[in-house]
Amino acid sequence: MTTEDQSHEADDIIICRDVHKWFGNFHALRGVTTSVRRGQVVVVIGPSGSGKSTFIRTINRLEYHQRGQIIVDGFEMTDDVRNIDAIRREVGMVFQSFNLFPHLTVMRNITLAPTKVRHVPIAEADAAALELLERVGIPEQADKYPGELSGGQQQRVAIARALAMQPKVMLFDEPTSALDPEMIKEVLDVMRELAASGMTMIVVSHEIGFAKEVADSILMFDEGKVIEERPTSEFFDHPREDRTKAFLSQILG
Amino acid sequence: MVAGQGTTPTPAPVLPPRSEVGAVGWARANLFSSWYNSLLTVIASAAVVLGLWFGLNWVVLDAEWGVIETIGGRFIIGGYNTDQACPGNDCFWRPQAALLMTTALLGMLWVVAGGVVGRIAMAVAAAAALCAFLPYSMERMGLDVRLLLLANLPALGVGWALARYTPVGKPRWVLVTGVSVFLLTVVLLRGIPGVWGLQPVPTLYWGGLTLNLLLAVAGIALSLPLGIALALGRRSDLPIVKLLCVAFIEIFRGVPLITLLFASQHLVPLAFPEAFPRNSLFSAGVVITLFSAAYMAENIRGGLQSLHPGQAEAARALGLAGWQTTLLISLPQAIRNVIPTIVGQFISLFKDTSLVYIIGMVDMVEIGRTFILGNPEYRISTKEVFIFIALVFWAFTYGMSYASRRLEQRLGVGTR
Ligand SMILES: Nc1ncnc2c1ncn2[C@@H]1O[C@H](COP(=O)(O)OP(=O)(O)OP(=O)(O)O)[C@@H](O)[C@H]1O
Ligand SMILES: [Mg+2]
Repeated sequence: MTTEDQSHEADDIIICRDVHKWFGNFHALRGVTTSVRRGQVVVVIGPSGSGKSTFIRTINRLEYHQRGQIIVDGFEMTDDVRNIDAIRREVGMVFQSFNLFPHLTVMRNITLAPTKVRHVPIAEADAAALELLERVGIPEQADKYPGELSGGQQQRVAIARALAMQPKVMLFDEPTSALDPEMIKEVLDVMRELAASGMTMIVVSHEIGFAKEVADSILMFDEGKVIEERPTSEFFDHPREDRTKAFLSQILG
Repeated sequence: MVAGQGTTPTPAPVLPPRSEVGAVGWARANLFSSWYNSLLTVIASAAVVLGLWFGLNWVVLDAEWGVIETIGGRFIIGGYNTDQACPGNDCFWRPQAALLMTTALLGMLWVVAGGVVGRIAMAVAAAAALCAFLPYSMERMGLDVRLLLLANLPALGVGWALARYTPVGKPRWVLVTGVSVFLLTVVLLRGIPGVWGLQPVPTLYWGGLTLNLLLAVAGIALSLPLGIALALGRRSDLPIVKLLCVAFIEIFRGVPLITLLFASQHLVPLAFPEAFPRNSLFSAGVVITLFSAAYMAENIRGGLQSLHPGQAEAARALGLAGWQTTLLISLPQAIRNVIPTIVGQFISLFKDTSLVYIIGMVDMVEIGRTFILGNPEYRISTKEVFIFIALVFWAFTYGMSYASRRLEQRLGVGTR
């Protein structure tokens, strides 16, 4: 390894080396190697079933990988429960289906993990939660239940909930694909602001406008592999792989 | 009534809100919207009127309610205060003191839970107090008995005030008080040898509604946590735990309760040391609890299975540990989703307590049955006895299902 590689490694918050994942006999991830630097925004695209969700779910071990290495903020993802719990505290995740806790108010959704996992005093957690709600633009919804909010508002609460743990990395799995068009923008705006604030983000999304504007690089998945990984403008202006070209022409219409 | 489908193809006009149309409009929309709806309405109304007519006629004119008066307090406490059970017949105050403690506890719960619990607490205290004015002679129902019954009103107030104005009003302390009240009740009814006024009364003589309620309360309070534990065990990754839970559930669900009650007299003592007293009440309580827990486990498991897997994933992704995810996210939602089934289970448990007659315990139903058998002159009043018993059971089960519905409303089940 050259010295230049070494210095890069120190800056990489996520490192994946030859990651393989099988569901039974189905080979979902077939040797994924990539890395993400601190503060970088990576957008992951690719056809349905290509393993995008599986990939980002292995990063906080909602799925476990059977072969290869995943290192997050210096911790290797193994069966060691302490490592997993430590990583999960540092990695926030936002789901396509929001997954807010319907039996808790918006406020409790946000303060639950800080108070139960980080043992933050409740008053402090409440204050932080209100600040986060301001940040995502819905402080007036604090005492409602998730079922009383629109999809866009729910997803913004979900982002606030993940941010409340002060994560170093945020993972987004198609955060806007369950939303009506008029609500997509309000969620993307929050994500733009988050990217501008320097958050490291991995975003599975087919919002090409958002990707072009915010992403530092694009990861193209196909059949469980990264087939192309390039800085954003290069990727869109001069895609190399035929499958990438075909996919882009498909989604750009 | 089923609202009929409109047959005219013209688009429906925008109707004003139903409340503005008045009773006639409501009746037309709901009862007479089509010819078969009208027919159903007429037939159903006729049935209701006929039923009420003959029912009330019988209740007021033909029925001989004297038998209820004759059995009287035995419905409530069975043979507890008879000569065999309590020589001197001065044990009547013990169940009454237990009732007073219970009303006070209800007063505390009123403060903690509010709303529907308050109404139930008031209903219980009022019903008890009203019993003080039953038209019995003073020899049959003495002043002491009546005063103790009346004391339920102040007891409710004392409990309420305690919870309202002292730290005892914390849910945790109310729970502790509840458990203490139950244990105290058992000790009080059982008595303590050698203590004046607390001569032991064998559990064999505990009976009537008191017996039904004691078994039901213990069964409900214990079968819920046990059922939760079994449900979680059944979903466990540990094969041994899972196997044990599945075996337990399937065995206890697969055998009729009556069989279990029979078996209990021989099996439960096996699980305890020789020195442990053989006791039908205890065996019955254990069996009813285990039987109900097996069903409860399946109810809870159903609730857990109905949850979206994303819920637990979101919790784990936030860094909550597995047990925290279960306790804070999965279980509350699972239980909330199956409240109607859980309460249904409680209701059938309460009714099933009357099966203990099979091992020689004299619950309220058995009081009625043995009274009729032992007093042939009352045989014509059999109907009245059992209708009365049915009404008492119904009052309690209705209370439970009423509380359940209000609880569901408050938790917003089905709406969020
Ligand atoms: N729990 C699972 N069990 C079995 N197979 C699975 C499981 N999860 C995913 N798969 C399979 O793995 C493959 C990759 O799935 P994944 O969800 O990662 O795709 P994706 O790229 O996110 O697709 P989409 O764009 O539709 O979300 C798919 O073929 C899917 O059927
Ligand atoms: Mg996906």
